[in-house]
Amino acid sequence: MLHNPRPIDDDVGAQVGAARVGIGGPVGSGKTALIEALIPVLQRRGIDFAVVTNDLVTKEDAERLRRSGLIDPARVSAVEAGACPHTVIREDPTLNIAAGDELEMRFPRLELILFESGGDNLASTFSLDLVDWWIFVIDVAGGDDIPRKRGPGLLRCDLLVVNKIDLAPHVGVDLDRMLVEARKVRDGQPVIATNLKTCTGVEAVADAISAAVLFRI
Amino acid sequence: MLRIDRVLGSRLEPEFSEELHRLEHQGAVDVVTVPAADLARRRLLIATRNGEELAIALPRNEKLFDGAVLLLEDDRAIVVRAATERWLRLEPRSISDAVELGYQVGNLHWRVRFGGEVLLVALEGRPEDYTARIENLIAARRVAVTVLDEETVDALAPADSVSTAIAHDHPHDDH
Repeated sequence: MLHNPRPIDDDVGAQVGAARVGIGGPVGSGKTALIEALIPVLQRRGIDFAVVTNDLVTKEDAERLRRSGLIDPARVSAVEAGACPHTVIREDPTLNIAAGDELEMRFPRLELILFESGGDNLASTFSLDLVDWWIFVIDVAGGDDIPRKRGPGLLRCDLLVVNKIDLAPHVGVDLDRMLVEARKVRDGQPVIATNLKTCTGVEAVADAISAAVLFRI
Repeated sequence: MLRIDRVLGSRLEPEFSEELHRLEHQGAVDVVTVPAADLARRRLLIATRNGEELAIALPRNEKLFDGAVLLLEDDRAIVVRAATERWLRLEPRSISDAVELGYQVGNLHWRVRFGGEVLLVALEGRPEDYTARIENLIAARRVAVTVLDEETVDALAPADSVSTAIAHDHPHDDH
């Protein structure tokens, strides 16, 4: 029996569906801003993608992205958690899985779906039934003690993004120490510092996504 | 980099076992050891024991498992080996300690097995990151802690007793 491998540049998306990447983190840390910054980078790289947003009882984040003019509004779906945001990305991600499946049906060539969680606390994590890989976003204005609190979201994510680094001197945060502590508690797992207002670090985040789930290295 | 986009089957299936047995005698069965926490991933970059890099992208209705056959050719095969999972064995000293331990583990959303009078917590990171969260119980000697491997846990608790604690009375004031 022969099961020959195919070359790596074949169309992965058409065979196995789109890669699914989660983006979680506290309220106001910059999850939607990260997606807004990633959109032009992913488009420039020719990646066929869509977005699923999660909000508590509204579709605020989805509407923000649809109105942004950055992305075809049809490529943005909204899930209303109606409860603690982690319940629909971890305990029962059915609504989000269905939203991803529906996007794949409407856009059969999709390579990537970004799932933005509603703002939650440091215990928030994604189910691997929903996503293949996930990012946790914190920001310096939340305090430089966040890494030391060792929240499961911060420890278990595949990539930690420390956002709003430009604010560090204004909120009394030693950014270098915060990044060192973040890398220490994550046991060497990746940490990327960003300032999404100037797109600092966004290419590195896109590189990490591309390498981890699209295998473009 | 070799792309894997489906699991062919289990090495235990007759369709594969005979051919794998032949290849094993030729030293032509390569193994990819997947950490327990990564078995649920549909997409994974990982290297085999012989150094071949795999780009695994599975359909959403498939998962990796111990013994999954990823490649079978005339002269070679690649099979998944699930890395041994480690567990924390938490033994409360009294019923009141057990109640408090259960409450805290529920709030922490840890994946557990029930082993009679002990609670077993799956380690998806460093043990110290777990024990730090229940340090008050450990320091007061209200809960005893041991790190166990998979085989020991299987003897203590049946696999179907796995549960993810979902109680969460902790504040969600920043939703």
